[in-house]
Order: sequence, then C-alpha cells, then structure tokens
Amino acid sequence: MTSARGGVGSRIGLKLLLGVILLWTVVPLVWMVASSFKPADELTANPPSFSFKPTLDHYNALFSGGNNIGPYIRNSLLAAGLSTIIAVALGCLAGYGLARSHFRGKDHVAFWIISQRMAPIAAVVLPLFVIFRFTGLLGSVWGLIVAYLTFNLPFAIWIMNAFFAELHPSLEEAALVDGASRWQAFRKIALPLVLPGIATTAILCLVFSWNDYAFAVTFSGPTSQTLPIAASQLVTQTSIDWGQLTAIGTIVVAPMIFVGLIVRKWLVTGLTLGAVTGE
Amino acid sequence: MSVTAEAAAARAPVTREPTRRRLPFEIKMLAPALLVLAAVSLFPFFYIIAMSLSQVKLIGGISFNWAALDNWSRLFGDGAVWASWVRSIVYFIATVGLELFLGVTIALAIHEAKRGRNILISVVLMPMFMAPVIVGLLGRFLTDSTYGLYAWILRSLHLYTGDILGTKTAAFAAVTLMDVWEWTPLIALIVLAGLASLPRSVLEAAAVDGASYWGRLRYIVVPMLGGVLIVALLIRSMDALRYFDIITNTTNGGPADATKIVPIRLYETAFRFFDLGYAAAIGLSMLFVTILIANGFMRVMKARGLAR
Repeated sequence: MTSARGGVGSRIGLKLLLGVILLWTVVPLVWMVASSFKPADELTANPPSFSFKPTLDHYNALFSGGNNIGPYIRNSLLAAGLSTIIAVALGCLAGYGLARSHFRGKDHVAFWIISQRMAPIAAVVLPLFVIFRFTGLLGSVWGLIVAYLTFNLPFAIWIMNAFFAELHPSLEEAALVDGASRWQAFRKIALPLVLPGIATTAILCLVFSWNDYAFAVTFSGPTSQTLPIAASQLVTQTSIDWGQLTAIGTIVVAPMIFVGLIVRKWLVTGLTLGAVTGE
Repeated sequence: MSVTAEAAAARAPVTREPTRRRLPFEIKMLAPALLVLAAVSLFPFFYIIAMSLSQVKLIGGISFNWAALDNWSRLFGDGAVWASWVRSIVYFIATVGLELFLGVTIALAIHEAKRGRNILISVVLMPMFMAPVIVGLLGRFLTDSTYGLYAWILRSLHLYTGDILGTKTAAFAAVTLMDVWEWTPLIALIVLAGLASLPRSVLEAAAVDGASYWGRLRYIVVPMLGGVLIVALLIRSMDALRYFDIITNTTNGGPADATKIVPIRLYETAFRFFDLGYAAAIGLSMLFVTILIANGFMRVMKARGLAR
C-alpha cells in the first residue's frame, strides 16, 4: 500500500508496533542461544540471570563422552538428505510430466498427490509402523527415508508442477522444432529455467524431514535416532539438562534458518503448495 | 515403424503428437514417481482400512482378528474421542484465529516500513524453520514456574503466578501461543505476497479521493486479500490435524486431558494402550476430515486459475 499514512504520530506508532513484533519473535530464540552458553548453575536461577560468563561446557558435553550426538547428526543428515534427493529427483520428472500433460483423469491424479501431502502424520504412522515391523524397516535409517518420502515426494511433485506450469511451453516447442527430443527439451531448456524452484523444493523437503519428530520417535531404533529425538531424550522424569537441551536446539535450528532464508523469495510458492506466488 | 512414417515424423513441424504408438512422454516422466508414491501411500492406506476392521494384536508377531465394524461403532459412541475432536476444533480456532489476526497485522506493519524491510522479513520468518519439538521444549523452559523467563515476567507484572503448564486453561493457552509463535510468520509471508500483488493504481486513486488508511484497509485491501487469506486458512487447518509435536513435548495431552487433541489421542491409543485397530479407526476419521479440506483447497486453486 502506498504509505501516505500522514502524521508523525502514526510513524511512531508503526515503529513501536515493529519493535513489539521483533521482541515477540526474537526473545525466545535469543534466550535459547544465550542459555546454551550459560553456566549450569545459572540456568535454573530464580529470578533468571541476565549477565553471565559464557561457557562452552554444554557444547563440549554434546560432543564427548557417552552423550555424543555425532551419530544423531549422521542419522539426521542421512535420513533427511537421502529422502530429499530421491523426492526432488522424482519430483522434477513427475512435476514436468504433470504440468505438460492433458490426459483424462489428470485432476484425480493431482488430487491424490496433494491429499497425500496433507494426510495427518498420526494416521500415516500407524499402518507404516505395523508394515515396518514385519519388513524389518523398523529401527533402521531406511525406514525413516521411506517414511519421509510419504510427505516429501507428493510435496516435490506438486511444487515442481507449479514451477513448471509457470513456464510457457513455447521455448521447449522451439527446441523440438530444431530437432531436440522431448527429453533434451526438458533437460536442456525447462530444467535450467526452474533452478530456483528446485532449490526451494529441496530446501523445504530438507527442513520438513530434518524437523520431523513424530515419525522418528515411532520408527527409529538405537542405531537410527535423529537430532530431534536426542533433544527430547534430555527430558527425563527427574530432571532436564537445559544447558545441553538449548545447545542441541541451537544446533538443530540454526542451519535450517540459514538455508530457509536463502530461498526466501520463493518460499511463499513452496509453502502454499503453489496457491500463492511471490514477488 | 516404416521408413515413410519416420520421414513424415521428421517433416512434421511440431512433434507433440508422436506418430509411434508408445507411452506418451509425459506419462513416462510421471510413472517412476507415481509408482513410488503408490508403494509408500496406497498400500498403507488399504492397510489402515483393514486394521480399522480388525482386532490387531502385536504380541508374538502380528495377528488380525476380523472385528467387522466394532471399532467404528465404538468410535461413534466414545465420548472421550468426541471431546478430543471438540478440543481440536477449539485449538484450531484459537491458533488459526490468532495467527490470521497477528499475521495480517505484522504483514501490514512490515509493508508500511520504509527501511530495512528485507531484514525485518528475514527476522520475522525465523521461527517458521524451527523443529516443532524444539519450539515445545523451549516453550517448556520459558514457562517453567521456578526459572522460566516468561513465567518470571508474568509473575513480576502480577499477571499470572500459577504453574502455567500444570493448570488446565493456562496450559491450553500456552501450547496455543507456542503454535502461534511458530506459524504466524507463515501467514505474514502469505499476506505480504498478497499485498505486493495489489494494484497500486486502485489504492492511489482511493487515497486521492480522500479515503483514510483504515478506510482503504477495510474496503479495498482486506477484500482483495480474501483469496490469499483462504489459502492461508486451509494450509493451517490441515497442519492443525497434521502436527502434534509441540503438545507431545510440553503437556502430552494433560493436565487432565486439557490439551488432548485428536492426534495425541490416536498416538496414545496406538502406542500406549496398543489398541491398534481402534487407533486405525480414529486415524481414518482424521484422514476423512483432511480429504474434505484438501477438496476445498483444490477448489480454491481452480478458482484462482492455478490448477489446470
């Protein structure tokens, strides 16, 4: 909206409002990061302590001894990374196929795909749990990869379809006239033009599966637990190690915020499943 | 395939309709993904239907005993499950209502900001990328009655002195606000995209005609954002049934069932009481509601000319 908002008063009001919004957003994050550097005895001080001598104790504890989170990081990277790669590769092919095809029943196929992405996790976990139990996938990283495909694959197909549909087919048609095959037109013309779309899809798939808790807590065993599980395991009946917990929190959250903001311009397309296009 | 047909194909200027009777290119592109999707989704779907019609036992392998519609008749008569649905609806209205109101407010404020808009947006979006389990655990840390920062602030301002996650209403409000904190940025992002696409000329004409800021907001901006807001509403309503990590890691349905929404009830039925057949019936009823919402989503996509 053009900002003919007039008076000095409303300018100050706007600044105040923006200030409140920033505080509301940032305080929990800053508190988490600050707490991860706080000495253990000050974490549970009442009233909360605001000045302290920063320490790396909690991070050191996470990377040494019995609590080493190295394996958790590896499992998270494997499960989230591989399911993302598979979903994006298949999603590019199928998204293009869907965007360029006109067969009867296409609407039904599209609806089936999108409804898979929207299905409640609890309702998906249940049959997969029983199926995984007798196929031996329970407790392995492969089980998690399959589980993450249940939401990443329909998501990737759907979003890549939205990005390809925005691309006018005339360029590919020109390449076909020049003697290119359909595959070459896709590979050499269409695919390079949707690179931002591919990056957005990949990053959102990565964020969704990296952040997953429900599938991981049900399917993962001692050798396949991921970072969110490591975080929740620090909560026991008797006590919670808030220092290590806020440190893990920082480790889980920071990379996702970083990669998420890289594709900020295209996020809205991705997160509204293509129903709203950005900037 | 004869030589003449090859030559004809070569001569044809646009080869969109292939002369060879083979699978169309588009179908070949679709096939691998759809086959994998069918394997990971259709099979479990039929499986959960079978489960909902059986008494499932996990002891010594898995056994299915045909139970016809027992689970389903139990579901419709189960007051506890209905109570969870009511709680889910209240949770949905509270979270999404607040998120829409705050999201629109934040988007309008950022849209009006003269400087630093990109940095503002980046900062405001941050909570959205957080793992919900971390949001829940962090919320628990902040609301702890002895050392939580937010509990301390509320106590110092004499607003609330009780145990936040241990009291029914306060716990419900707390898990609602945690969800609002994480997902309001999504609504703000969607509304900002909508605001950016508003035609400048209409707004300028209204301003020239003497319409006030609030007048333009009420009669031009909000009506024009309608479609975008419906998309935001549908996306969040699916997520309200989809995710339950925050509640699992804060109150886990308590105190006294105050935050036991449907997915938490399902999880407890399946993995604490191991009543898998009954849990399957609850799961299918959730799936049914999701399909209704997805249907609404497809209609909106069509109306916006985005689904072809």
